[in-house]
Amino acid sequence: MNYTLQFGQVIDRLPYLAGGAWLSLLLATLAFFGGMVLGVFGAMAKLWGGRVLGGIANAYVVFFTNTPALVQVYFLYFALPSFGIILPPFEAVLIGLTLNSGAYMTEIQRAGFLSIHRNEIEAAETIGLSPLQTVWYVIVPHIVRTLYPALSNQYILLTLGTSMAAIFGVEELTGRALSLNAETFRSIEIFTITAALYMVVTFVANALLVFVGRYYFRARMRLL
Amino acid sequence: MHSSLSQLSRFLSYYNLEFLLQAALTTLLLSLSGCVIGFVLGFAIAVLRQTQGWLLLPLRIVAVFFVEIFRRIPFLVTLFLVFYACQVLELDVSVFVVAVISTCIIGAAFLSEVVRTGFDSISRQEREAAQAMNFSLAQVLIFIVIPQAWKVILPPTFAFFLSFIKDSALASQLGVVELTYSAKVMNNKGFSPELGFGAALVLYFIISYPLARLGQYMEKRLGISRHRRT
Repeated sequence: MNYTLQFGQVIDRLPYLAGGAWLSLLLATLAFFGGMVLGVFGAMAKLWGGRVLGGIANAYVVFFTNTPALVQVYFLYFALPSFGIILPPFEAVLIGLTLNSGAYMTEIQRAGFLSIHRNEIEAAETIGLSPLQTVWYVIVPHIVRTLYPALSNQYILLTLGTSMAAIFGVEELTGRALSLNAETFRSIEIFTITAALYMVVTFVANALLVFVGRYYFRARMRLL
Repeated sequence: MHSSLSQLSRFLSYYNLEFLLQAALTTLLLSLSGCVIGFVLGFAIAVLRQTQGWLLLPLRIVAVFFVEIFRRIPFLVTLFLVFYACQVLELDVSVFVVAVISTCIIGAAFLSEVVRTGFDSISRQEREAAQAMNFSLAQVLIFIVIPQAWKVILPPTFAFFLSFIKDSALASQLGVVELTYSAKVMNNKGFSPELGFGAALVLYFIISYPLARLGQYMEKRLGISRHRRT
């Protein structure tokens, strides 16, 4: 082994990498909330949408959960221009990840919706709430507690998933690591530090989520 | 759109299809080998974490760190780390082997948690009863825990394998000729992107969908409604 580790050059550029971590978190957060909204509508469509809407939601879930997110974004980024839609890299990755996480969250939220007692929904119907009102005033307050751990897990997975944005030239954490690698060729050092930053980011995010979940939603969660 | 339709007959030539199918097979092989070796390693880690006494304490700490670290690193970064680590250690291995090693590492980290959850699902009293009858740890695991816990362990393990068929798409970035890479090759050959990537999407779907149905059937059959996406 004739290789000397030199972290100096990489440590100097730590703020640059940390800025990329912010972009990763931003991307994950936007995709998460977009996916959550898609998931609510998807779950509603699957449960009460009837044949047509339910079928569409089901096809959406089956297709997006059975193909890789990377190839979905490839398709959005490279194939949509042939149809006259040109997306910048950040938007292409954001839309791809949102659609992908929306499919998974449809399934998560459907399971949550099913855990509500039928009587409660019937009671809401009796007092004349619309389906949207039923979801917002009756179902969501109930299932937040049960779904919170699954959703926060999804958020962490999504944060890790955003690393593929680097492939499309988005300057998030992995993207910045790759361009720093091209500049300095200190590959192993750069990726060690990048991995450490990912660990810090997901650990802090996880700790915050567990804290909020335990004290605000009374979800049963453990750190580690 | 018009151009891609006119390319279709040329795209579906024998050699192109053979190339795509071969790549699909590589994808399957990569995720399968990674997950099988990863499961064995993960199982070993989970058993190691069950041991008691101070003699194995350092190993247990290393195991906990290993799991917690590699569950928090994106697969893409793990791939690059292993790739450059092989370079530093002057190992002369192919990119496919690098991808398999990365899959094993991530698989070991995630699946050890799955196995641990399975072990934890067995009630404490049963294990204590076995210990009281002077069963060793290996005997407790083999005769008491595993016969009951495999039902809890199997579905999430299968789900992990499924999710890895999709995540292995990232290995294309190292140049492993798997399905995503073959789609890029098709694209570079001059076929329109919707054709190349569309074919990759369809092939991934063909691989993944039957396995997903099998997983659902298995979950129902084993009577555990535990939805975990790892």
